[in-house]
Amino acid sequence: MLDFGPSADPANQAAPRGGLSSSPPLVLYPEREEARHHWLDPAEGVARYLVGRISGPFFKLRLRRLLSQTLKRAGPVAALSDAALDARLEDARRRARCDGLSDATLAESFALIREISRRTLGLYHHKVQLLGALAMARGAVAEMATGEGKTLTSTLTAGAAGLAGIPVHIVTVNDYLAERDAETMRPLYDRLGLSVGVLIHGLQPEARRAVYGCDIVYASNKEIAFDYLRDRVKLDGAPRNLSLKLRRYFDPGAKNDAPVMRGLPFAIVDEADSVLIDEARTPLILSRETDATAERVWAETAHRLADTLHEPRDYVVHPRDRRVELTKKGKLSLEEQGTRTGGIWTNRIRREQAVQQALTARLMFHEGDHYVIDDGKVVIVDEYSGRIMEERSWNDGMHQLVEVKEGVEVTPRKEVLARITYQRFFRRYGRLAGMTGTAREVSAELSSVYRLNVVAIPTNTPAQRRRLGVRVFPTAERRWSAVAARANALRETGRPVLIGTRSVAASEQASAALSALDVPHELLNAKLHKQEAQIIADAGLAGHVTVATNMAGRGVDIGLDPDVAARGGLHVILTERHDSKRIDRQLEGRAARRGEPGSSEVMLSLEDAILTQTSAGRGALARLARLPWPVGPVAAGRLFRRAQRRAEAGHARARRTLLDQDRRLGTMLAFSGRPE
Amino acid sequence: MSKAYLSQNWYRVAGLKPRLRRHAKLYRTRYRGQLWYVLQDRTSGRFHRFSPSSHRLISMLDGTRTVQDIWDTFCEQYDDETLTQDEVIRLLGQLHAADVLLGDIPPDIGELAERGESQRNRKFLMSFMNPLAVRLPVFDPDDFVSATMPLARPLISWIGGLIWLAVVGYGGFLALSHWSELTQNVVDRVLTAENLGLLLLSYICVKAVHEMGHAYVVKRWGGEVHEIGVMFLVFMPVPYVDASDSMRFQSKWQRALVGGAGILVEAFLAAVAMMVWLNAEDGLVRAFAFNVMLIGGVSTLLFNGNPLLKFDGYYVLSDLIEIPNLAQRSKTHFTYLVKRYAFGMRELDSPATAPGEPAWFVFYAVASFIYRLFITFAIVLFVSNQFFFLGIVLAIWALVLMFGWPLMKQAWFLLTSPALRHHRGRAFAVTGGTIASIAALLFAVPLPHATIAEGVVWVPGDRILHSEADGIVTELSVVPGAQIESGTAVVLLDDPLISARVKLLDGFIEELRRRLAAQDFVDRSAARVLQEELRAAQADRALTLARLDDLVVRAADPGQLIVPQGEDIVGRFVRKGDVIGYVTDFRDPLIRVIVPERHSDLVRSETRTLELRFASDPNRVLPARIVREVPGMSAELPSMALSTEGGGRIALDPSVSGPGGERQALANLLHLDVRLAPDTPFRSLGERVYVRFDHGEEPAALQLYRSVRQIFLNQFDI
Repeated sequence: MLDFGPSADPANQAAPRGGLSSSPPLVLYPEREEARHHWLDPAEGVARYLVGRISGPFFKLRLRRLLSQTLKRAGPVAALSDAALDARLEDARRRARCDGLSDATLAESFALIREISRRTLGLYHHKVQLLGALAMARGAVAEMATGEGKTLTSTLTAGAAGLAGIPVHIVTVNDYLAERDAETMRPLYDRLGLSVGVLIHGLQPEARRAVYGCDIVYASNKEIAFDYLRDRVKLDGAPRNLSLKLRRYFDPGAKNDAPVMRGLPFAIVDEADSVLIDEARTPLILSRETDATAERVWAETAHRLADTLHEPRDYVVHPRDRRVELTKKGKLSLEEQGTRTGGIWTNRIRREQAVQQALTARLMFHEGDHYVIDDGKVVIVDEYSGRIMEERSWNDGMHQLVEVKEGVEVTPRKEVLARITYQRFFRRYGRLAGMTGTAREVSAELSSVYRLNVVAIPTNTPAQRRRLGVRVFPTAERRWSAVAARANALRETGRPVLIGTRSVAASEQASAALSALDVPHELLNAKLHKQEAQIIADAGLAGHVTVATNMAGRGVDIGLDPDVAARGGLHVILTERHDSKRIDRQLEGRAARRGEPGSSEVMLSLEDAILTQTSAGRGALARLARLPWPVGPVAAGRLFRRAQRRAEAGHARARRTLLDQDRRLGTMLAFSGRPE
Repeated sequence: MSKAYLSQNWYRVAGLKPRLRRHAKLYRTRYRGQLWYVLQDRTSGRFHRFSPSSHRLISMLDGTRTVQDIWDTFCEQYDDETLTQDEVIRLLGQLHAADVLLGDIPPDIGELAERGESQRNRKFLMSFMNPLAVRLPVFDPDDFVSATMPLARPLISWIGGLIWLAVVGYGGFLALSHWSELTQNVVDRVLTAENLGLLLLSYICVKAVHEMGHAYVVKRWGGEVHEIGVMFLVFMPVPYVDASDSMRFQSKWQRALVGGAGILVEAFLAAVAMMVWLNAEDGLVRAFAFNVMLIGGVSTLLFNGNPLLKFDGYYVLSDLIEIPNLAQRSKTHFTYLVKRYAFGMRELDSPATAPGEPAWFVFYAVASFIYRLFITFAIVLFVSNQFFFLGIVLAIWALVLMFGWPLMKQAWFLLTSPALRHHRGRAFAVTGGTIASIAALLFAVPLPHATIAEGVVWVPGDRILHSEADGIVTELSVVPGAQIESGTAVVLLDDPLISARVKLLDGFIEELRRRLAAQDFVDRSAARVLQEELRAAQADRALTLARLDDLVVRAADPGQLIVPQGEDIVGRFVRKGDVIGYVTDFRDPLIRVIVPERHSDLVRSETRTLELRFASDPNRVLPARIVREVPGMSAELPSMALSTEGGGRIALDPSVSGPGGERQALANLLHLDVRLAPDTPFRSLGERVYVRFDHGEEPAALQLYRSVRQIFLNQFDI
């Protein structure tokens, strides 16, 4: 395909502020073609990773050269009047359109954006922020310590790309962060002449199309990936440039049929490790809901037929395999009833399948073990982790059968329309960059899966975080009371305290413990997310105690009261080890941001979920951990480290398996023409 | 068995309207009493086997119905044989991989190209993995075979069969009746420089005819032959022909005949060559005929006709027992058995599809592995005898391919396979246990370790009867074999010079006496001189008399007299010091044992006990001890009984000839004198004995290491 880039069209040079919308792009819906699997891929992955590691210093050297070029322009640019700045911006825009993200345009754009940021937001980018932005512009993951102002950093890269006419998606972990970041930075983008859009849950397709039309789109990973998946279903496979153009030419009005997105040009992933690694464990499934009434009728009929069967005459139960088998007699009696019922029940296979499932639902699925009834809904409990899996349902009608069994309202069945893994999705971006506070642990995976190198960016001012160590309690009960006492003591010194918990239930336990000591506190968890912004805004006030699940762990910036910093800043108490060390580091990173003082400490108990879930809690080490000092604490430290390592390895394996299966299935089903 | 009929991935295929491509053809075949459909893909020449229910589904793929429709219809029509959605997806995938599926949407060109490339890569990789069997296609012989078919066609019939039977039967009869002539030092005759060229030529001719045999039989029943080429088997070019088209033949006998055609043709050629060989004069024609026989016989026996290697015989076998793809499937079955029973993966289904197959699979997997091991090591040994380094490289290669690579795959499987989840512990335990027990067998369990050497019964020096003087034996006064006392005269020698000299000296003394008597009173000084001369003459006489006495050979010790030459010794001339015979009491034998140099260190340093057997009485085991070790090694054999010519194990050096040289061995030998318990009787002198030097017990691995090290030391001359 002839792709001269956006600069080939001379009309672009005269484009008014606002970017691309006036002239149609050469390629509609651009996305990167997926690399075919090759048997040398692993070797290539290793080679790329090694080269990335070895050439890291040289890459940084290059970035530093660019940085000095940018800094050199800072003085002259700062001296410009507003009008002169605008003129220079227009000039830079024109040049960027022609040259793309070349070194020269980057230096110029960065210098201008930095200056404009100072004039509009009052925020002037530090050197390290410039460095991080440069790394991202060159397609790497910038690892910047927590609290170094990643949101501001991304404006440089996004702005420079926007000036060059490349639409940018800034991918965040949730809607709150997308909205917050977009609103904070909007004045800057406005001044740059770039439009900003925010995607939030519940937006209609028309509105979404408008958002995607913006130069810079802030969105959570879920929203953006689902939009992409919906587009793929609409386009019935991969976007084909020619057919898209023909369609637009012959049928310019058919807005509803057109895809919502403009393609996958450039993504800057905020909290890259969370989005690209942690979330990549489960694929996204786009489903269509079937008619709930029909499902209820189906499930009730299945149960009614199942009622007429008796063990062991009609069916045999295999508890080990969690399976029910119909006997010949059972099948015969079913046949008789099926013909009487009519409809699909005359079909032997559908009939027997349904009845068998109904029997399985009754005999093999137990409330409490496999599911719980919560608020009139059947909610799945993960058998291995014991965690509640909301928003999940069993497929093939099993969920509906259980719902009928429990007598709750029957929900529609979810029919899969398309499925994509995050790995596959993000690899389709033409350019991909990321930033996070914690990437070095997963740099190998980022390299092999996304071909992203990690560049460590130094901190602006040395971190003033004090880590106060780890304490392990024998029971959860004693831990919570210790946490509450500690929080109370700190509160009385006038410091704000953030208590991080792993689950909603734990956050409630923490809250109960605090209430028992009459400590005023705020609770922030998934159930109470409405007041999120307000709670976070207050969390930095003197003497405030905030209990939060790890949803407050990422991207959340807790602004401190002016006098709090003098008293030692925010104190973070980690009450449990998370599945990955990175998440712990993120939570710790809420304290001592931007060179402010702060401290963190860890209070664990030997009843913590991570120990039972990873089976590290069994064995000799766990018994040793219960011994008194000095053996106990040492053993406990090792125990938790081991549990965390196991959890990390388990997740890594799950991701690898998913990727493998995805690829194998893709190869086998290549004839279907739809890789999703 | 209840199955999950619905699949998570169904949505990806439900709306497709695929159909089969036109070149795809399905053939109905029976295997072990079951109906199967064989799908032939003409473009790639591959075959796929489908069950009847799969076939029904395939035949519904007409490009107008969606997969969902087809499956719905299927469910309604075929109760018991419904395929699950997953099975349908897999089936479609299989068809797609065979390049016979055509969808209603344009095919993914990139995917197709990639698949082609990966196939090429795999082929390349295969030839790298197995450099002993590289395939090079040369041309498409189909037109040629069609054109010449009328010539060959009459032969592939009952008449042809009868002719074949007659010729091969007669040839076989001839071969049997001239077996000894045929097999007389075959190796020497074959491996001469001038014959090797001829051998190569006849080899290529025979194999070319062989391959044409396959091609014509395929053609006979309407098949097509599209590839003929050269395969390099152990660097030896061998023509091959792609006869896979025979898969579509209905009758298993037809298929088997295609596979067996090559062997039949070679047997026929060998039979004809036998007749030529018998009737032709010595010369090129006769040599050629001999080579043809050799190739037809040996290669058929060891390689081509042997079903344990993947050559013609294998295909014949798998056709006759109606198990296609026997080798691959027996491997799969074997892994299944391991996974199912050793690793406890109870959810697995047996890959066997018909009764009787499992037994074949197990038998074939084990037998072919052992045979391949045997053949590989034979080849490696042969090659390393000729070219040591090449042999070592080949051996390493073979080890890596036969053990290293599969073990690595197994390890990888153990560590990473998701299928092993929940079974990994047991799998590790079983594998670890197996490895540990093998290691224990190799490294910990002591095995008897010994060196076997040969020796001869030797006589101590004092029991040897030497001639004390030169002379002709005139009389053997004792019958050989008789018991004699010490001092008995055994042999009388005659030396006419000595008796004459006595007479001469007697005369001379008389003369001197008389002259002395005459001179005594005349000249005292002259008399003095004569007196001295007389004394000298008398001493001379005494000496000569003693020599005369030496002409009688007497036994020093009592015992039985052994004279190797028997009565024939009478009339012979013997020199002083020659051995005339032995006087032995057949007790306390001295045994001279020779140990080849490569075992000498072990024997010298680590011998615990000695056991000895006489060749004449191998059932009697006698304890023994080393009494003396001849310092320094020599290549000289103490007795011809130890040489290969004498029935022993030591090869003589043919280049050294002449007196004494005839007993020169090729390598240095350690000589040891061994004695048995006092008063042990023995039967005869010069008898060969077998001596076992026991080195105690040592694990197999150490023993192996020692001998491998020895081989290397030998080869590198260190």
